[in-house]
Amino acid sequence: MGGIFRLMRNKRLFILMIGLIVFIALMGFTMGRTRLTWPEKFLNDAFGTAQGALYRPVGAVADFFRDLGRLSDVYEENEQLRQTVAQYTQDQVKFNLLEADNKRLQTALHFTEQQMNMDNYRYLIAQVIGSTSNPYEKTITINLGSRDGIKPEMAVRTVDGLVGLVSKVKNFTSTVTLITSLDPNSSKGTPVSATFLGKPESFGIIEYDEETQSLQMTKIDEHDKPADGDQVITSGLGSLFPKGIIIGKVKNSQVGDFGLTYTAIIEPAAKYNHLREVFVVVVPEVEEP
Amino acid sequence: MNMRINWVILCGIVLLIVENAIVPWVVPPEWSERLLPHLNLILTLFVAGYAGRHIGFLFGLGFGLLQDMLSYGYMIGPYGFGMGLIGYLAGLIAERKSFTLGFFAWVVIVLGVMLDSIVYSIYRLFRITDLQYDFIFYWQIAPTSLLQLMIALLMYVPVRRFLVKPSLSSGEDSPD
Repeated sequence: MGGIFRLMRNKRLFILMIGLIVFIALMGFTMGRTRLTWPEKFLNDAFGTAQGALYRPVGAVADFFRDLGRLSDVYEENEQLRQTVAQYTQDQVKFNLLEADNKRLQTALHFTEQQMNMDNYRYLIAQVIGSTSNPYEKTITINLGSRDGIKPEMAVRTVDGLVGLVSKVKNFTSTVTLITSLDPNSSKGTPVSATFLGKPESFGIIEYDEETQSLQMTKIDEHDKPADGDQVITSGLGSLFPKGIIIGKVKNSQVGDFGLTYTAIIEPAAKYNHLREVFVVVVPEVEEP
Repeated sequence: MNMRINWVILCGIVLLIVENAIVPWVVPPEWSERLLPHLNLILTLFVAGYAGRHIGFLFGLGFGLLQDMLSYGYMIGPYGFGMGLIGYLAGLIAERKSFTLGFFAWVVIVLGVMLDSIVYSIYRLFRITDLQYDFIFYWQIAPTSLLQLMIALLMYVPVRRFLVKPSLSSGEDSPD
């Protein structure tokens, strides 16, 4: 035992203490910061470009082998897609009529230009160029940056549904935090409000429970009892976040913490790993009054 | 110091890119939250073993911070701190007992668990995660460190052949 104490002489212990203090200061300082300094941007952009050159080809090869394994499912999938397309064309007719109607009514009611364009989101296609090995900050990197008009807190989705939020923006790349990091019990993440597709008045907040690895919608009003299989979409309350992005389906539901609200367990529509292509949703600018 | 340090740094950068771009595709989707190997930790251990504790410390600190910056979502620093500390510790251990293959395997396991535990406790301290340690140990730390052991054993021969200078020339101080 004496050897160990001699090993950790005073000088080493002192330097360790100083190091600990410096690092805690660094961590505290970098927490909750959105702007980056130029060395960080430069390093991230450089590594991002190099990663992109590897990530995409490797992903293509990996997907190819996975698709080979699923060749037998193609017929079934085809059948399903045909049904969906038939449904879709029918809905398209209805949608066109409704949209025309809506536009006519909006003009009749003298909506301003900004109010009319509120729901015209722009989608920027981004390639995923890397993900990280840090278990507590599951982020992915995309190849669009501030040069392409990306801003922090923008929603990121795949064809299937919501994936995450842009957290740090560099010049040519940006970092996306996945919605699996929206933990209510810890000091991180921006809350995302959600609603049921069939009940536009309903309201809930999306959270992720790390212990059970499941997505939850909490604080649902007792009048809007969730039914299994209900589609959950973003509600866009709070206006910064786009509305109508699919989050998932209700798997089951239970009475919430104080018996006054409901909590629904959601089966996510999008998957969060092995991503190759995502869309960044750009909400039309709100002019400052 | 008897390592080709420039090549080691180049190798570290390549490993970092591989870790962020290729490893996510190799790991099957069901395991993608459980197997998160840190390739640069393994290289840091090699550096600390063959080039001394100070180089090991600097190497760990530098690549830890680099990795923190690349995955920056909430804060910078946990890996910089953990890898720097572990580089120094591994150097101390290597001064007492030289790294044979069997001993090195133990070092990779123990220090790999230690790095993940340090990072976990930092995130716990800042209340970014509220998972229990026994859960995260079973869920991520144990499988990850076993995978790291396998990768370290795979890297053992190439690192000794290409990155460590032969001990004959160490006395001559060749300009290589």
